[in-house]
Amino acid sequence: MAFLAFGAGLTPDFRSPPEVSEIEDIVTEEAAVRTQTGQSLRVTPLVAENDFVAKGAAVACLRHAPDVCFVAPFAGRVGRVSLLPGRKLSEIVLFREESDAVEHHDTDRAATPGGLQRLMQSAGFWPRLRRRPFGGMPDHAETPAAILVMAADTRPFAPDPRLALKGREEDLARGLAALARLTAGPVFFCRTAGPPMLAGMSGDARIHEVICGARHPQGSAGIRIHQLFPAGLDAPVWDVHAEDVAALGALLARGTLPMTRLVHISGSALRRSCWVRTHPGADLRQLTQRIVLPSPHLLMSGSPLDGHAARWLAPRHRQVTVLPRAETSPRAAHWLVAALTRSVVGRPAIPTAALTHAFGAVLPATPFVRALSAGDDETAMKLGVLSLLEEDIALADYVLSEGGQLAAELRGMLDRIQNEFAA
Amino acid sequence: MIRGLWNRETVAAILLAAYLPIALIWVGHEGKEAFSRLGLSLLVVAIWHLVFMLARAQPPSLYGLATALAVAILAPEEIGVFRMALALSFGVVMGELVFGGWGRNVVNPATVTLSFLGFGFPSFEWPVFDLPVAWAAIPAALIGIATGTMPVSVLMGAGILGAGAVAAGYLSEPVVVASAIVLVLLVADPVTSASTSLGRWLNGVVFAALVVLFANGWAGAAGVQIAVAAAFLSSLSAPLLDEAALSVWVAQRRKRHGRS
Repeated sequence: MAFLAFGAGLTPDFRSPPEVSEIEDIVTEEAAVRTQTGQSLRVTPLVAENDFVAKGAAVACLRHAPDVCFVAPFAGRVGRVSLLPGRKLSEIVLFREESDAVEHHDTDRAATPGGLQRLMQSAGFWPRLRRRPFGGMPDHAETPAAILVMAADTRPFAPDPRLALKGREEDLARGLAALARLTAGPVFFCRTAGPPMLAGMSGDARIHEVICGARHPQGSAGIRIHQLFPAGLDAPVWDVHAEDVAALGALLARGTLPMTRLVHISGSALRRSCWVRTHPGADLRQLTQRIVLPSPHLLMSGSPLDGHAARWLAPRHRQVTVLPRAETSPRAAHWLVAALTRSVVGRPAIPTAALTHAFGAVLPATPFVRALSAGDDETAMKLGVLSLLEEDIALADYVLSEGGQLAAELRGMLDRIQNEFAA
Repeated sequence: MIRGLWNRETVAAILLAAYLPIALIWVGHEGKEAFSRLGLSLLVVAIWHLVFMLARAQPPSLYGLATALAVAILAPEEIGVFRMALALSFGVVMGELVFGGWGRNVVNPATVTLSFLGFGFPSFEWPVFDLPVAWAAIPAALIGIATGTMPVSVLMGAGILGAGAVAAGYLSEPVVVASAIVLVLLVADPVTSASTSLGRWLNGVVFAALVVLFANGWAGAAGVQIAVAAAFLSSLSAPLLDEAALSVWVAQRRKRHGRS
């Protein structure tokens, strides 16, 4: 079946205007420090409003693990610290100021795995990691069973990691070697087909190169984890973007964590698509102000498939999507139409080839979707639900025209499993 | 929120398009009588869909048209309005609508209807098809495969075993013709056939094996009767085949990764 698996996946067709090829460096005037999408964490703010912070300085740390810090993406002044009930971080808004102040970190202690972990946590690298099962930032003392480094992204309009990593091969190799010290298990480096990206790294037997196909969801971390090293309740698997691994390499070499990342701005409500190098928490309004078409539009952080409406670029996102805002009809729908469309929640999924390919043909799609919508945790766990997150099934959600229903069911199931096994 | 295409009604519409070659050739050969049979089954199916829509707010599905078409083509001749309406009511309500509509059913409503007719009124003559109608099953299957709405493995599993049986002289022409039409119209239904890769192959093989068994061991049975009985039994076995295929899949993953 190898020849069938090679072409698995789909290429959904979205519209975006032609793009400008040069990459612009933009540090926005405002930025927000936030937690990963979908996670709410109790924090202790380390700054007060109107304080000056250097680039890379900690602005908040976790309440129960003060080692893990959230850092400022640029030097500036703290505008607003807003916490939700329970001292959960909502956002810390910063205003940029002209200053070269940069936080330096002592890299001597990074020789041991424990020291490396503490350096990553205090330098604000920790929020760039994500764990499975259940998603979100890893626990501060967690040891992963395996790590996936994603140098492939097949989401529509995703930036090419090769472009982002051009000229940073040394940093990448250093970061990868450091990551390998954090786990006793394998480190998978997933890349697209083409020339090898790890020229000098053939020495370590634990680092495996994996080549992903060009169709979505082949370059989706969850699908790859499901195939290579399924995450389990006692076997967490981390995934991190290759650009962030290069940033880790730079942190180890120079003591400062690079904040910028390559971001692609696309979508049908733009005059032109463009590439920018910007930082997490960037102000999407400033990024898109000059290129958006004059009509109501929706700013999304993330791809058209798995993005969400946002004001700030989410911590792990590398895409901004701008879509026309759908006109809401002033008249209420006819009662019969409303009765037929609103009453049945969770419409049945008809097994088709499209559904199989929406999961990259790596798992029995129909039994999985049926287990999800029936809330059958046991079957879903057998089929590998612990390796998956919302973004991995976003394509299936789109293909089945469910409008987020499948992702909501997955989140509900993961939360239920987490509560059940935490008890 | 942007949405894709492959919801229930799209799949139903594509399946209807796939059945068009069979429907057109059949109408062309049967003439006026075809229209009256099709009209009657459409009416009964539509009434029940309407009842469930009003009583249970269950959206009707385009697949009702496919059910009506399959029943009109395959039902015994001279069966009469009352018997036809009774069987269709049973098939559509008990086979599809009580489960929550198309997509949640475990057996194809048309298969249930035809089996009901076969068990309830065995003295009526089953139709015999001209060759062109069976040939039309091939483009129908191709449309279904190309659009991904019909399971390839079911068609291939049944096709390969069936071809072997024909070559070995176990199947006569009327049985092959009827089985080809039943395979495309009833067995290759994406919802009620097996849904895993291995399960689908087995599903097709089980159908063809049952056809061969009935063709050689059921004295006096007509081609359509044999094919419908095989379709009914193979669709009842589909969940079991799926369960077996899933167990195999999970066991393989356990072996490879140490956990599922």
